[in-house]
Amino acid sequence: MERYDIAIIGTGPAGLEAAITAKVRNKTVLLIGNKGSSDKVSKAHTVQNYLGLPEVSGDAMAKAFLDHAHSMGLEITEDRINAVYAMGEYFALQGHNNDYEASSVIVAAGMSAMKPLPGEMENLGRGVSYCATCDAALYKGKTAIILAYSSEDEPEAEFLAERVDTVYYLPQYDYEGNLGGNIQVTTGIKPSAIALEDGRVILETDGDSYTADGIFILREQIAPSQLVPGLTMDGNHIGVDRSMATNIKGLFACGDITGVPYQYIKAAGEGNVAALSAVSYLTELKKTQV
Amino acid sequence: MVKKISTDEFNSMDKSGVSVLDFNATWCGPCKMLAPVLEEVSEELDGQANFYSIDTDDNPDLAKEYGIMNIPAVVILKDGQKVDMNVGFVPKPALIDFVSKNL
Repeated sequence: MERYDIAIIGTGPAGLEAAITAKVRNKTVLLIGNKGSSDKVSKAHTVQNYLGLPEVSGDAMAKAFLDHAHSMGLEITEDRINAVYAMGEYFALQGHNNDYEASSVIVAAGMSAMKPLPGEMENLGRGVSYCATCDAALYKGKTAIILAYSSEDEPEAEFLAERVDTVYYLPQYDYEGNLGGNIQVTTGIKPSAIALEDGRVILETDGDSYTADGIFILREQIAPSQLVPGLTMDGNHIGVDRSMATNIKGLFACGDITGVPYQYIKAAGEGNVAALSAVSYLTELKKTQV
Repeated sequence: MVKKISTDEFNSMDKSGVSVLDFNATWCGPCKMLAPVLEEVSEELDGQANFYSIDTDDNPDLAKEYGIMNIPAVVILKDGQKVDMNVGFVPKPALIDFVSKNL
């Protein structure tokens, strides 16, 4: 597998500027995200305070960003990263379509509106799980709840159902599937909280409450602390210092994901800093490898 | 070194001192990523703790005994008694801290 110098997750202003700076410094770059930059950019009406682009529409701004990146020879790999593992001298990135390796990583994935349910983080690993295929075998002969946010989760429910007694499948999207057998599908249920009682999980909702041995929450967007296991957070944001370094050596973050103000030019500036910090890190890393 | 063991071997082995049990499965991605990290940790802490790998598919009774609901899970035993547990992948420095604080 090719090991890139720097993997960059996110194609908003932070990720694109990081990629451009890394390219200027002659590093091999893996740029992962949406080919059309960030929705938050392209859907903006007008932006008034971006240096050099007065009164620019979001659409034109996204185009200017992407044209700049393409002119530097940067290509965007369209994929969704599910997990980044710090392996020591490199990082393993697990994507939806592919797996990747890089010596350093810059997380510029933006802020998601996703909020964990009350009781979710507290009971993670004690009945709350994000990976049905990981933990399925531990639920042999038991019951499990799946909170599903996309039709792509239906095969995971089937995989789990092969092992457990009963699966309560609660789709949080327009369900048109045909799950059956020991999978009980109930639509239109809004979850509100998770509690643990006598080793069993209780899911409170706007309707009935559900009790089971475990609950699998399969969101499309993952919290940064789930994306990168072991990452230190600062509230809902990734904790960084002035060099955009996180608590994990070789892993940097920039843009909205590091905190307010949520401004395009701040994101781009942080992307520049993160890339230069990653370059310094790579120089140090090479010294230890000789 | 991390030694792969079965339920029988586990039950009959000497558990004095600190034992580190890695509960995993062959089809679990994060478990596969954790294995080489734990291997490095076991080299660094050589002589201070014994490291074991337990496949939850082959040894469901052990997984049940230690209350494993999610994997990978790293359980610390002191003289055979469970004293701590960590669930999910952890980077090497954090894993060293986790084991060391229980030494």
